[in-house]
Order: sequence, then C-alpha cells, then structure tokens
Amino acid sequence: MTRQKRSRHGLKRAVAPYLYLSPSLLIIGLLMLLPMVTVISYSFQNSAVLRLDSSFAGLKHYQAIFADPVFWASLWHTLYFTCMSVVFHMTIGMIFALMLNSDRINPTLRNILRVLYILPWLFTAVIIAVIWRLLLEPNGVVNSILMQLGLIGSKIEWFSSPETALHAVTFANIWAGYPLFMVSLLAGLQGIPKDFYEAADIDGAKAYQKLIFITIPQLMPIIISISLLDFIWTMQVFPLIWITTGGGPIYSTEVLSTYTYKLAFSSYNLSQASASAVVILLISLGLTLLYIRYQKAR
Amino acid sequence: MAEVILENICKTYGNNFRAIDRLNLSVEDGEFLILVGPSGCGKSTALRMIAGLEDVTSGSLRIGGTDVVDMPPKDRDIAMVFQSYALYPHMTVFENIAFSMRLAGKPKAERKKRVDEIAKTLQLTSLLDSKPANLSGGQRQRVAMGRAMVREPAAFLMDEPLSNLDAKLRVQMRAEITSLQKQLGVTTIYVTHDQTEAMTMGDRVAVLKGGVLQQVDTPKRLYESPVNAFVAGFIGSPSMNLFEGTLTGNELTAGAFAIRLQDAAFMRRPGLRSYAGRKIVFGIRPEHLYDSSLESGRKYQTLPARVTSIEELGSEHIVHLKIDAVRVDSGDPDAVEDFGLASNAVAKFEPESAVRSGSEIRLALDDTKLHFFDPETHLAI
Repeated sequence: MTRQKRSRHGLKRAVAPYLYLSPSLLIIGLLMLLPMVTVISYSFQNSAVLRLDSSFAGLKHYQAIFADPVFWASLWHTLYFTCMSVVFHMTIGMIFALMLNSDRINPTLRNILRVLYILPWLFTAVIIAVIWRLLLEPNGVVNSILMQLGLIGSKIEWFSSPETALHAVTFANIWAGYPLFMVSLLAGLQGIPKDFYEAADIDGAKAYQKLIFITIPQLMPIIISISLLDFIWTMQVFPLIWITTGGGPIYSTEVLSTYTYKLAFSSYNLSQASASAVVILLISLGLTLLYIRYQKAR
Repeated sequence: MAEVILENICKTYGNNFRAIDRLNLSVEDGEFLILVGPSGCGKSTALRMIAGLEDVTSGSLRIGGTDVVDMPPKDRDIAMVFQSYALYPHMTVFENIAFSMRLAGKPKAERKKRVDEIAKTLQLTSLLDSKPANLSGGQRQRVAMGRAMVREPAAFLMDEPLSNLDAKLRVQMRAEITSLQKQLGVTTIYVTHDQTEAMTMGDRVAVLKGGVLQQVDTPKRLYESPVNAFVAGFIGSPSMNLFEGTLTGNELTAGAFAIRLQDAAFMRRPGLRSYAGRKIVFGIRPEHLYDSSLESGRKYQTLPARVTSIEELGSEHIVHLKIDAVRVDSGDPDAVEDFGLASNAVAKFEPESAVRSGSEIRLALDDTKLHFFDPETHLAI
C-alpha cells in the first residue's frame, strides 16, 4: 500500500463512526441543543421573540427575576415540593417494597397489594390532578372523613387556602410518584442473597439490624440513583400544579415551572421567562452532573 | 465445645416430600464429621436443621446437652460457613469478621483484639481493610472461616465451603481447614458431595441417600466394609464395579467366566454359603484389578476383557473395559462413570501397562478384595 492510499484509508476509518452517528446527532442537535441555545440567547435580549430587532440586554433580565420576591418564593416552593416528594417517595416506596417482599404476608394478599400499590403509576398527571381536586374539595371525601373522625372541626379548603395549598399539592405528588421507588427497591430486595440474612440470623441480628446492616446498604446504589433522578424530574413538575392550583392562591404554590410559564404566556415577557428557564436548566444541570458522577464512580 | 445429637430427626415439606427420614446421628465433642451423599440426598437440609434455618418436623436435636429444636439460630451456639461465604460486600474484612460482636454490643477495643487474633491465625492481617470483592476465592473462604471462629461457637457447621474454589486451591484449603479444626478442637459438621473431601478431612463420615442415613464410620471402614452397594459405589473413585453373579460351591460364575473363591472368604462371611446356587451381587474396586502382563498382576487369577478406552493420568491409567457380566447400578444418581454399551467396568492400572484401546486382555483380579451384596436388598453379606 502506498502512503497516500494508507492515509486515505486512515481518514475513512476516522470519519466512519461519526457518519454512523450523524443522523442521531443531527436530531439531538435540532430537537434539544437548538432550543436550549435559543432560550439562552433570548435571556440576553430585550423583547425577545416579540420584536425582530431585539437588542442585547446583558444580565438585565437575570437581575430582574432575582429582584422579584415571587421568584424566590417559587424557588423555595420548588425545593420544598421536591425534597418532601423525594423523601416520602423513598420512605413509602421502601415500606411497600419491604411488605411485598416479606414472607410473613400471605401470597394472595401480596399479589393484591402489588396491584393496588402500583395503581398511581397508571394515571397521567392530569388525571391525578383531577382526582385530588375532587377528593380535596371543601365538600369532598377527605374533609368528610376527617370530620367524621373528629380530626378537623370545619371544612378545610385544601387547595384554596395559602396555608395548606403547597402541602396539598406536595401530598398529591407524593401519592403519584412512590411506585417507581417501590418497584425499583422491590427488584433490589429480590436481588439480595438469602444467605446474607441467614448468616445474620445465626449471628443474632434482630429485624431492624438486618434492615440497617444488610438491606439498606445493599439497596444504596438504587436509592441514590433513583433519588437523584426523582429530584431532577420533580423539580420540573408542571401539569399537576397547574391543574390543581395554577400556582395560587397568592403565589403560595408557585414553583419555578409555573413562574416561568406565567412570565412567558401571561405577561408575554419572554426574555425574563427565558432567564428563569435558564436558572432551572442550571439547577437541573448541576443535579445531572452529580448523577453522572455517581454513576461513573460505581 | 459440645456434642451434637440428632434423634429420629424428620423433615417433611408441605408437599409431603420427606427430605430427611428418621436421622440418628451423634457427633462427639471435638469431632470432625462429614455429611456426604449425592445431590438431593438431604445433607444440606440436615445441616440447616441443626443451624436452625429449617424447622424440624419431628425428632430431637441437642447441642451440648440442650434441646435446641425450638431455639432460634442465634441461641444455638453454632457458627455456619456458607457455600457462597455470605460475606457482606459493603463491609471490610474486619467488619465482616466483627459483625456478630458488633451485634452483641461488644466494645470496640475487644472487637479489635479478637479480630486481630483471628486474622493472625488465618493470615488475613494485611487484608482487614479490604472489601470482599477485592479478595481471591481462597481469601474469601478464610474470611468466612474467620467470621465463624470469632463467635467461639460450640459447633461449626460448614455447607460445601470449598465447592466454589478451583481444584488446586481446594486441595490446599482442605488441608488448612482440617488442621484448623484440629487446632481449635471445635465440633464440626461438614457437608460435601465431594467424596475426596469426605475421605480426607473427617474423623467419621456419614453417608446419606434419599434422606436416609446409610452408614456412619471412619473413612477407612467405609472404604473397606461398606454396609450396602450404594455406599460401596459412592465411596471411592472411580466407583466400585458391581456385577451380578451366581455362587456354586467355591465358584462365582458371571457370564462366561468364573472366579474361584478361597475358603477364607466364606469364613469371614458366614452368610455367604446360604447364597449357594443363587444370584448374588459382587463388587471389586478398580484398584484391585490388575494388568496380568505386569509383575503386580501375575499372582492373581484372570478373566477375559476387552479394553474400550484408556485415560492416561501419568501416575496411573484409568482403563475402561467390557467384560462378559451384567453390571449392577449402585443407586448413585451422580455416578460419573458413563456406562454405555461399550464398557461395563473400570480398572486402575500402573502407568507401565502397555494395554491398548480395542485389545483383548487377561484382567487379573484380587479375589480377597471382593465385596458381596444381597441382590434384592443390596445389603453387604
């Protein structure tokens, strides 16, 4: 082979993989990268989208949203909503998974529970929102039961009172999201060798010690990765809140996604909306990097 | 230290399958007892019942004089080594060994002292901070031993602890476990399906088949005087050759050949005469068959045989043969010898043997080493 031929051959070999990847790279570029870059550029423009001759605005829009108390309130609500959701998703998912994995529960009952526990997963966000709006209505089932039990004296307007609205949407989201944890943890539990528990039995471990020293450490990789993913997803939840409370009353359930949506489509301040979207992007990016680092470390 | 006594132990599963049938076994203080048998014979079930990991359906079980049938595993004062080792992957070697002490709430200093002692005995000192994933098979095995030793139990229970190791390491660990057991003097019950382990490690060996105890004896006695055809076939490798024959006077006839028996054979077995004129099962171990053309085989009587194949192992030749006799199955489901139509006997020849595959030879047989069994009950005569 001549040198020229060989180098041409080498070039072909170097380029070939990228040629194979090009269709998917093109689609990703068009569908993901382009909108992202566009949004970032909007956040630095005056009257983005609305005017063709929009001028460079610098950090003006960022300063504006950082000066807006509603932004800070929605950031705080987002964190509360997300942290509570993830913690309770995990706790409930873990308890249900342990129940479904236990030999002490009758197998038929276990199969029925398995179906019941997974039900919330079958509903879309819209249906979940509608269900909980109906249940938590002032004249709804929840109030009626709580009053029958004597736990509350008067009807509570769960979604309409600023004191309870955020807790109510968080509760609905917890209900909607635990099955992912339950299913993942159950799969993890079934993968723990029985020998570990038998060895611990012989060594004199009590049930809670087996949970602390064997079950949880064995499930840790699943707990960490699912929690991180759940955190990233929950931070961006929009439809559930939009349909139940719309961010109200008086911003009490305003989260970053509804805040951004309102800036864009109620106030038509697309530049500030873009700035707010970029803030969400940065937070998500940070969490995603954490997730990737964790996955790599394993 | 304690003796372990099983009396009429039965284990029946929900589907009425009887895994263990009236097992009586008494393991003396400090004894190394091997439970051996083919797969599915109930040996692991028996061990797990002693450990308390399986319920006992009926019978009594005493460890160190205490009836433990209704006791949870932790109160039985035993330690178990699992086939998988069951080491906790998220804990270091130190934490694995110290786990039972930690559960018992022993202070840190005491834990450290005890684990260090054990690590020294097992040569694990440099590995105490490693995780099990970074250890070799032999090292993991030793950690599993360490975890059992740390509790200073009345008895060790070991469930096929060497079966995950490669052949060479197994030989080494066999010796290590045996000497460790002698050194510690702890009563040990060891389950295996490997009859080399059974023959080399234990003070006594209990052979199980289908949940029923066949024989408990020293390895030497099991080899020399098996109580039935199953034990005869199970102990020894390759297995004992078992054939059908007819006894006429002092002559044992099988197919086209006859073996002359000496009077001593009848004197040693008073019952043998009563089989005169009847069918009988006789057995001969591969190592008691000789190549008649070699010095070692000259003094024995011979019978015709055809060589079907030869495995040359260097130190010996395993020779597969076809002789004119009906082979009897010992009842070992795990028997490795594949007796098709081609061969029905195995012999161990010295490496000097020049026999070739396909040739007709005279096979020499040491008739003083013959074993006799009843054709119906398969019990030794």
